[in-house]
Amino acid sequence: MGYPHPSHPKETVVLSKYFGDEAARSFDGWVQRGGYQALKQALAMTPDAIIEEVKASGLRGRGGAGFPTGLKWSFMPKASGKPHYLCCNADESEPGTFKDREIMRWTPHALIEGCAITAYAIGAERGYIYIRGEFTEAIRIMQAALDEAYAQGALGSDAFGSGRRIELIIHRGAGAYICGEETALMNSIEGKRGNPRIKPPFPAAVGLFGMPTTINNVETLAAVPHILTRGAAWYKALCLSNPKSTGTKLFSVCGQVMKPGNYEITMGFPMKDLIYDLAGGMRPGRGLKAVIPGGSSVAIMTAAEAESALCDYEGIAEKGSSLGSAGFIVIDDSADLVYEIYRLARFYAHESCAQCTNCREGTAWTVKVLERILKGEGKPTDLDLLMDLAENMTGKTICPLSDSCALPVVSGIKKFRADFDRYLAGAKSPALAGV
Amino acid sequence: MADELVTLTIEGVPVSVPKGTTIIEAAKQAGILIPHYCYHPSLSSPAVCRMCLVDVEKQPKVLPSCVTTVAEGQVVHVHSEKARQARQGVLEFLLINHPLDCPICDQAGECELQDFVFQEGRSGTRYADYAKRFNPVEDFGPDILYVANRCILCTRCVRFMEEVALEPVIEVCERGDRAYIGITEEQKLDHAWAGNVVDLCPVGSLISKDFLHKARAWDLDKTASVCTGCSQGCNLMVDSRDDVVVRLRPRANLDVNRHFICDTGRNNYRWMNRGDRVEAPLVRQDGRLRATDWDTALEALSGLVKGAGEVVVLVSGRASTEALGWLARLVDGKRVTAAVRVPVGDEAPLPGVANLALRKERAPNGDGARLAGYHADWNTAVAATTAAALTIVLDAELSDAEAGKLNQGQAVVVLATVEDDRLDRAALVLPVSTMAEENGSYLNRDQRVQRFLQVRSAPGMAQPAWWVAAGAWQQLGPGRTAPTTAAEAFARLGETIPALGGMTYAEIGLTGRVLDGAAVGGAR
Amino acid sequence: MSSHAMAHGPETDEPVFTGKAREKLEALFPHYPTRQACLLPALWIIQAERGWISPRAMAEVGQLLGITPAFVKGVVTFYTMYHQHPVGRHFIQVCTTSPCHLCGSADVVTALLTHTGCGELGATSADGRFTVVEVECLGACGFATPILVDDDFIDAVTPERVAGILERYR
Repeated sequence: MGYPHPSHPKETVVLSKYFGDEAARSFDGWVQRGGYQALKQALAMTPDAIIEEVKASGLRGRGGAGFPTGLKWSFMPKASGKPHYLCCNADESEPGTFKDREIMRWTPHALIEGCAITAYAIGAERGYIYIRGEFTEAIRIMQAALDEAYAQGALGSDAFGSGRRIELIIHRGAGAYICGEETALMNSIEGKRGNPRIKPPFPAAVGLFGMPTTINNVETLAAVPHILTRGAAWYKALCLSNPKSTGTKLFSVCGQVMKPGNYEITMGFPMKDLIYDLAGGMRPGRGLKAVIPGGSSVAIMTAAEAESALCDYEGIAEKGSSLGSAGFIVIDDSADLVYEIYRLARFYAHESCAQCTNCREGTAWTVKVLERILKGEGKPTDLDLLMDLAENMTGKTICPLSDSCALPVVSGIKKFRADFDRYLAGAKSPALAGV
Repeated sequence: MADELVTLTIEGVPVSVPKGTTIIEAAKQAGILIPHYCYHPSLSSPAVCRMCLVDVEKQPKVLPSCVTTVAEGQVVHVHSEKARQARQGVLEFLLINHPLDCPICDQAGECELQDFVFQEGRSGTRYADYAKRFNPVEDFGPDILYVANRCILCTRCVRFMEEVALEPVIEVCERGDRAYIGITEEQKLDHAWAGNVVDLCPVGSLISKDFLHKARAWDLDKTASVCTGCSQGCNLMVDSRDDVVVRLRPRANLDVNRHFICDTGRNNYRWMNRGDRVEAPLVRQDGRLRATDWDTALEALSGLVKGAGEVVVLVSGRASTEALGWLARLVDGKRVTAAVRVPVGDEAPLPGVANLALRKERAPNGDGARLAGYHADWNTAVAATTAAALTIVLDAELSDAEAGKLNQGQAVVVLATVEDDRLDRAALVLPVSTMAEENGSYLNRDQRVQRFLQVRSAPGMAQPAWWVAAGAWQQLGPGRTAPTTAAEAFARLGETIPALGGMTYAEIGLTGRVLDGAAVGGAR
Repeated sequence: MSSHAMAHGPETDEPVFTGKAREKLEALFPHYPTRQACLLPALWIIQAERGWISPRAMAEVGQLLGITPAFVKGVVTFYTMYHQHPVGRHFIQVCTTSPCHLCGSADVVTALLTHTGCGELGATSADGRFTVVEVECLGACGFATPILVDDDFIDAVTPERVAGILERYR
């Protein structure tokens, strides 16, 4: 199994404090490390007070959308009389992202505690933890931790003697990136194809099994106990740039960099330092060419843009890209960028659920055009065609999967035109020889 | 929700509709069709085809009009550059894997993909260098083939079976551009109402085996009619080519059958094309039937009626109300035993629609007959023919035994569509048109009067049965004038059937009218 | 290292949900308000028992959960981890999406195909022992290249490590 690196001094270690510490996995180990105090504290507060605290902290959804978490919780109805549900989105399938797996396999009780507090705050007695089917190790560890939590009375019909019922159930996915979309996730739990739903209605009104539901990402939920024990003000103060981006974020740095891994930094941290300092910079003899900062569903950044950006929602948006899930893919000058864009398009075409015409056909067509270009058979009109297809795949569908396919393609053609021109002049990719 | 109205502008046309109406429905009121595939007024709206995207001012993105509700003051553009480009994009995407099957595809001429591409699509393909995905044709059931290559995954068929038929035996399988509609060996598409998926399919993907390669849509004459299969009275469109009926399809009537007909009704058209028809009035002289003219025939008929005391009338459940009313009027004053033949079968409801089923009473006008006074029990009436002075049969199907009984009677007059040489003692055999060859009306089980229009020409000298009965009736009293048109024949039914008083064809139109004071949801 | 042994035979008429498998299925019922919601976990039970999900098994689970076979098929064919036909005794999934490709997953694929004897992606080795498929992002991009061998998630696979890893599955 892969072990995380020791923390770098410039990291702000909150969620990742016990990554690599096997003893943190057990209930007792977690309690020794201060765990479950937050849950006890929460159960003595009113749900509204918890929601206010989380609102005040400025916590935003860490799965990719960046929606203010406290605000999302406040959408749950107050006296509907219907059962409420919490869904923990542990489907982590965004290329470049590998933070949630670490949270689950090193600090499972952190997630359990975050889920329990959230469930209580939104009036849910039951929460489903949707873990992608491939995360076999994380599932085993989470299930063992859940069993312990029940045995120790943190979960069940009378959580920590509060009289409140809090149940958490693991639901295993089976190989579909689209189930990370919150409404598709709900359909998947319901035993259906993972098709995203039309919004409105929103999950807080009509969600899982038609009931009011809140869906949150693993990293978001793991932050909740810290906000309660250390206070919203503490979390809010973790801010190096824009006050709308607070707290810490796990950046999953991967690709062509010396020290790939998860780096926990305060929002607003300089991206240059993340790449060259924390992650050890480029391999010998290599220069930075591009960065895809938010998981692959965002615009590609040039080296210049990356080296001058600040790591928060607004800072990356200023450079024309998005923070997203912070699946931070580093690309150096040895890479075949056109091939990588093609391979990403193949990813989206494979994962399209097939509902919307534009996505179902557009992603596959994009792959075909890129493949032809990589074989040296591209036509001069192919780049215009790709831009046109991208236009027809943007803002036209139920969910943004097709938009996500379009972003790397459009930004790649706009910012790295020379790479494409090389192929249009007749170069052939060795990766596709024999395909 | 109270009838709060919302006013908006669609393509420059101001429209006021109830709150909660979708833009696509509001557009209909403005006389604007927003192109679409997956939307259907009798099904849920998944908004997956993305064809109906409209440009709403002040909104950053185009919006699916099938699920976006109207808002006060909204300004909607259906034909702005932005909306047209969105549609052109969808059409182009649909065509990349759609095979160029038009020359061999049954849907050509009535294909919504053809229609919208012709209207707004690109004139050339940008996909010529790539292979289209291929899936084999699948046999889905007794009458339905699935040509997977043509499927545009609108999912109307899946939703119909799930939400309306309540038998979800088909479902989207696979993902992305590999998706297709799948079925399993265990359950085929044999539901009593499954044939509707063929009508719902916007393209030629789900097709009827019965209609396969039979006729081109543009060769068809389309006539509004009513199904003769049972007492539900589903509204039909009858498709014929060169006077041969080749297909029946549902005609929308939100109060009767919405957009659907059952498979039994759908298949019930071959009898309309029968060739073994009586073509001339026949009068028996010296033991043989001889052809004659109508004047002679009507005179003979009125003579038989005049001289009769006991009369038995046996009618088909398919006879029009006009025919039944005038026939009853012809024998008015006699001692009459009148019965209507109504076959029975099992009921097969369409669960997702209120008050819609293939009914046990498998005739379209049992209620019309009963309203016109045909109350006798069928077997009793048949038995009474041996003693009756005159038996009149109107197109009724008779068993061998029943035909035998009639041959023991005194005088038998047959108003016949098809030849029947078992009635070898009939005094008169008079050719009448089937309901497909005349204008007329039926009364369904909910007491709704519904018109059917003439589809094809009657063979030889055949005339509507109401014309025959009224012609003879005219001769039996001074100052009597027979109606000359079906409209007149109907309008004057009120003279003997009060419930139909004051009704006219014009007022009934093609959606029908429920009789005043009628209870809906009869027992048959 | 696999947590269970999977049978990988052709389709059989024997029902899946008897004995322990039936108990596992019924243990799911209190976890969900509808029977249909038990479908994904139930399909995992079938795959654990039989190694793949046959049309007969789809009909069986549909019957038990009140879903038509067609709808079960729609679900099974949507989720790529469910096998619709028998596979090798050990099923290997290797990530080749861009972050891993940048870190040399192509060489790992080559090494796997060579050492398993499969020859090409999707094929089962002649001795029936292995099937190797490429999959999309496995969520371990910082530990490239990750693979799954049955239920064992193995990080940081390099071409040099492949032979040693496969030994554990001989």
